[in-house]
Amino acid sequence: MIPETLITEKGVSAGDSWITVGAETVHDALAALREDGYRLLVFLTCVDHLADSSREWPARFEIVYQLRNMESREQIRVRAFIDGDPPRIDSVSDLFPPANWDERETYDMFGVVFDGHPDLTRILMPDDWVGHPLRRDYPVGGEVVEFSEEHATWQTAPEKA
Amino acid sequence: MGVEALAESLGQNVLTTTLGKLIGWGRGNSVWPLQFGLACCAIEMIHTATASVDIARFGSEAFRASPRQADLLIVSGRVSQKMAPVLRTVYDQMPEPKWVISMGACASTGGVFNNYALLQGVDKVVPVDVYIPGCPPRPEDLLNALMILQERIKAQGITPRQ
Amino acid sequence: MTDTVAQGITVTKTGEQGAFGGELLTINFGPHHPSTHGVLRLIVDLDGEQVKRIKPVIGYLHTGIEKQAEALRWQQVVVVTDRHDYLSPPINNLAYALAVERLLGIEVPPRANALRVIMSELTRLSSHLVWLGTSGIELGASTMLMYCFRERDTILDMNEEISGFRMHTSYIRPGGVFADATPRFLEMLDRFVNQMPRNIDEYEALLTMNPIFRSRTIGIGRLSAEDAKVLGATGPMLRGSGVAWDLRKTMPYSGYENYDFEIATSDMCDCYGRYLVRIKEMREAVKILRQALDRLPDGPVNVDDRKVLPPPREELETSMEAVIHHFKLFTEGYSVPAGDVYVAVESGRGENGCYVVSDGTHKPRRVKFRAASFVNLQPIERMAMNHMVADMVAIIGTADTVLGDVDR
Repeated sequence: MIPETLITEKGVSAGDSWITVGAETVHDALAALREDGYRLLVFLTCVDHLADSSREWPARFEIVYQLRNMESREQIRVRAFIDGDPPRIDSVSDLFPPANWDERETYDMFGVVFDGHPDLTRILMPDDWVGHPLRRDYPVGGEVVEFSEEHATWQTAPEKA
Repeated sequence: MGVEALAESLGQNVLTTTLGKLIGWGRGNSVWPLQFGLACCAIEMIHTATASVDIARFGSEAFRASPRQADLLIVSGRVSQKMAPVLRTVYDQMPEPKWVISMGACASTGGVFNNYALLQGVDKVVPVDVYIPGCPPRPEDLLNALMILQERIKAQGITPRQ
Repeated sequence: MTDTVAQGITVTKTGEQGAFGGELLTINFGPHHPSTHGVLRLIVDLDGEQVKRIKPVIGYLHTGIEKQAEALRWQQVVVVTDRHDYLSPPINNLAYALAVERLLGIEVPPRANALRVIMSELTRLSSHLVWLGTSGIELGASTMLMYCFRERDTILDMNEEISGFRMHTSYIRPGGVFADATPRFLEMLDRFVNQMPRNIDEYEALLTMNPIFRSRTIGIGRLSAEDAKVLGATGPMLRGSGVAWDLRKTMPYSGYENYDFEIATSDMCDCYGRYLVRIKEMREAVKILRQALDRLPDGPVNVDDRKVLPPPREELETSMEAVIHHFKLFTEGYSVPAGDVYVAVESGRGENGCYVVSDGTHKPRRVKFRAASFVNLQPIERMAMNHMVADMVAIIGTADTVLGDVDR
């Protein structure tokens, strides 16, 4: 059973139950949930809440873990909020092997550093890419006016927002 | 066989043409594409090779796995920034004369993906001979592009590519 | 001394000895390689012809779909969902549509659900047909491609009849489906469902007892049930290892609980087992199609909500309100209440999910696609270990990864 002291907030969003845990205890919380039978990490990702006015957010980056118990068919979503430059959080790839690539992708796309990850390198973008594309302050890119031939070329640093 | 008889039989069996036309005819009817699938369009490219459309009618059913044996690069799908150098390398490995078909909206202009990850048109890294619209184009569209290309190859003849 | 290759991968130490006295050899496989099913790149360490280490390098088809989705309005995102797993577009539409519908709190009518099931199963069939055809070619049975694509063409013709487009149908949308099935579509479907079991028999006659195919697949690429679960594999990868987990049964959506079908599993845990699972799944898909066609309910195919879907064309000529709704919908779009939701559906490759975060505006804050291929590619390292190079092709083939899905 996950100790109640780890949970800072819990709720249900559109039918999915979720809990929020402190960023520094995320490894303990997931280990406890894994003991409870939530053996499958469905996905792991990050949400950037830059300039999000829908509610008060504790921090800019929200790391989301979706866990599933394949016996009881229950699902739970674990959230952890982090800030900083770069934002850091503990890796869970030792608990859930599929997290390995998910964490690399999150690092690549959001610049979140996972402490303890065996091989935290870019996975989707080229090695020498500048910036982390899925951050909200990274421009969508491409051609602003189509067929104008005016667009950022590869390997140039994106404009700082 | 007498000389008259020989001349008569030759008269019925010899065609005269220019060397350029002959080479163009040969090249145009045996365009070997490179087996190079990128994304969604690659599936329609496979459809073009199968029974219902049958690209073999136009002499192009021999999809080669090695760029050294291919004449035609069909860019079948979106080209990402990471793939662009690879695509250029593959193109450089093909022997002259060579042609490129940009298949589909993504390869031609970036398509619906106007963003950081994709090359906004493959013509930024390789010269393109025929563009095909569609997302993905129908197999018949690819055949049509091949026929347009064949016309151009035949007209080009022996002269080197400009 | 180590050689560092792209993406920070450190491979063979120069001069490292293999078991047979030779040096370990690092070779590059792809991204342009005819048997990697797209632009997958593998860095393989070989001892003679045995695979000792294998590192997939991905990202060569990274399309920025998730970033693009943040720049589009809610109803426009459907178009990009088609294109990430390009062998099963309607199933991707379905995951996204179900997610948005749950946030909006709307329920689609029964006929829309039945049409969604029909399109999902047709897509599953067409996706498995591509897999079967291309795997056949890789394992030396070139004829398979011709047979499989014959039926796939029929399915694509049906797609075209119902949605106007062969591959990227964008047929399933939040709030319902694009259009009702035409009588001609139902006729085509009926003919197809009657014919298809005989075609599957044909494929089986060519492959199931084929000695070459069997020796290329039996015992190759073993993945135990425990490993498959731990590594997060889903779909035929998991069921081929004997785990009866199919989201259509275990966590039903779109009314799948009303259909009578079995979960295809195989205890062989190897490439042949995964082949058997896919063949069985094709038969089950035909069964579902037959039931859906026989019990197709009447009624509307869209929710009656002008805030989400445009009014019918004929109303635009008579009703000012309809014109306003139409204008609002196509200029500003609709807003979705703030919140997040995860919906998973079973595609041909496994669990394709969609995690949607809304901040209450007319564009999504974050759309994350949980790609089955992305997760199913990771066990390859374990499966290909100590196999021959040629077997690696069979292993990648039966994992059935779509690179568009891996890289998104």
